[in-house]
Amino acid sequence: MDQSESICTPDAPRAVVEIDRSMVSAEALLKTCYWFTRDFVCEIRNRNEHVAEVFLTPRNPASAFELASAKNAFTTSAMDFALREKIEAKTSGIRDLLLAKAFSESGVLEDLPEGVFGDTVEEMKPGGMFKILSNPKH
Amino acid sequence: MARVFYPIERFAPVPPTFHLLPFRFTRLNGKELLVNEAGEFLFVPAGTVQRLTNEQLDTNTELYRDLKAKHFVYDESSSPLLDILATKVRTKYDHICGGTKLHIFVVTLRCEHSCEYCQVSRQTETRGEFDMSTSTADRAIAMMMDSPARAVTLEIQGGEPLLAFDVIQYIIPRAQRQALEKGKDLDIVVCTNLACVTDDILKYFRDEGVKVSTSLDGPAFLHNKNRPRPGGNSYEKAIEGIERSRAILGMESVAALMTTTAASLDYAAEIVDEYVRCDFHSIFLRPISPYGFAIKTRHRTGYEMGRFLEFYKQGLAHILKVNRGGYRIAEVYTQILLTKILTPHGTRYVDMQSPAGEAWNVLVYNYDGDVYASDESRMLAEMNDFTFRLGNVHKDTRRTIFTGDAALQLFQASCNQALAGCSDCAFQSYCAADPVYHHATQGDMYGNRPTSGFCARNMEVIKQLFSIIEENDRETMRILWSWVTGESVRNEVVECA
Repeated sequence: MDQSESICTPDAPRAVVEIDRSMVSAEALLKTCYWFTRDFVCEIRNRNEHVAEVFLTPRNPASAFELASAKNAFTTSAMDFALREKIEAKTSGIRDLLLAKAFSESGVLEDLPEGVFGDTVEEMKPGGMFKILSNPKH
Repeated sequence: MARVFYPIERFAPVPPTFHLLPFRFTRLNGKELLVNEAGEFLFVPAGTVQRLTNEQLDTNTELYRDLKAKHFVYDESSSPLLDILATKVRTKYDHICGGTKLHIFVVTLRCEHSCEYCQVSRQTETRGEFDMSTSTADRAIAMMMDSPARAVTLEIQGGEPLLAFDVIQYIIPRAQRQALEKGKDLDIVVCTNLACVTDDILKYFRDEGVKVSTSLDGPAFLHNKNRPRPGGNSYEKAIEGIERSRAILGMESVAALMTTTAASLDYAAEIVDEYVRCDFHSIFLRPISPYGFAIKTRHRTGYEMGRFLEFYKQGLAHILKVNRGGYRIAEVYTQILLTKILTPHGTRYVDMQSPAGEAWNVLVYNYDGDVYASDESRMLAEMNDFTFRLGNVHKDTRRTIFTGDAALQLFQASCNQALAGCSDCAFQSYCAADPVYHHATQGDMYGNRPTSGFCARNMEVIKQLFSIIEENDRETMRILWSWVTGESVRNEVVECA
């Protein structure tokens, strides 16, 4: 990620993290690196089409224990960002509708968000308390 | 506990599948902490998020029912209650509605103190050219009244504003008259060190319904070190002024704020005890602002955020101890964050809003008519950084100020929902963007969160508060709830008994 730092020499002690690219997207990997850039220079290399290697070179001297801890923390963080992507993929449509409804002063949306959102329970109650808008385009 | 009464769906057949509602999460104390768009939260066992995203969670469990009750999932037997969630989101972000509420008038740069970290870059007390003119005051009042906000606060500060008491006397009646004409509620606060206050001034404030906010940095040795003035008696003047102000204005009309310098860091308990001794019931453990003279003198007054966080934690622990002893005193930053965490509401505190409160909810009218996005923006201007100067009352209208390049650039960096590092953060709905802080400290309004003192402070404080919440000690939570509700601990104890 940051390859210009002079600290990133071949001999500098560093941690190497292997990432399964089928589990963690490039974006999730970059987000993980972002949070590690305070303490590490992060360099990503693709070993092959399935595995990426992340080289974590500490900005300040670090013990073997600290490097091992960083490696574990990086792996956990990468998996968490992958999970966040899954949540985003499953809920972005509802989120858009939710925010549109929350910030629509009039309560009427001029441009309905893309996607399908139906509320079968509420739709079965014509006089129901909670009116849920669904996208008529779909 | 998420529920008290079980919904009727509990007694219905178990749904075979479920759907997710939007949420963010983090790991804390071996658990996963889930937070939805409205800021509602739930601690769940590690691995729950994985099972949720894989749709492998057993729908016949208490955990599932808790997730459903807290709007993290819904199924065919329940509605996602989108309108309710939308109302909660809207309530949380209520601060963006209604227009600018806080209007700060810098009536003079003159001051008889010479604090090293001074946030207002003081001038000597005799140089009248640093006072606000009547024509500038007129234009600033007009711009304030042009805000669509139904209720506005006029905060008069300096320098030391009492050195320009004639300007204050010019502004207040005109602001009151125009507020009446426009049907606005008007609160007036004067921020003063009270060293120059007289009974006549205080009687004028009493008659006009003006509140006083003063500075109290701790015990005499610390306050006088932080706030040098001729005679070396800033503390004695402040205490005397507080007593006289309370006698004339009433206890509720006098508040105090502290600034944490490097000299303060070893005296968290002593500072809290001083506030208790002075019969204050709130204290704001806030770090020094990295602006104005604080930048010039930071080798003497500044410190790392980590050191401040130690100070904050020691102070909070002592405040809780004092509360357990029967004296109610709230820590204001904790109170702000807990209100966001434990209730549907947001905060009026502009430094902790997203979209950022700068400009949107506060405008600063400098003595020379320049309009700034915040007090901190004006401090930067004193260091010749005019990035956040939005315009001038003599040349601009509210419309041109809010559509000018300076304001638009600020607004673009104002939403933590769209900032790197913040967009996925579980604490997003409790936190803020603060582009002015990041511009001042990192040279970039958007900021780099991994190295941001703002982010470090809020992450650490919010995590600590969630740890306390998760621990759920009855006495501690009773105290914290009393800060949020404003009720006395003693009353709550009686009610619970």
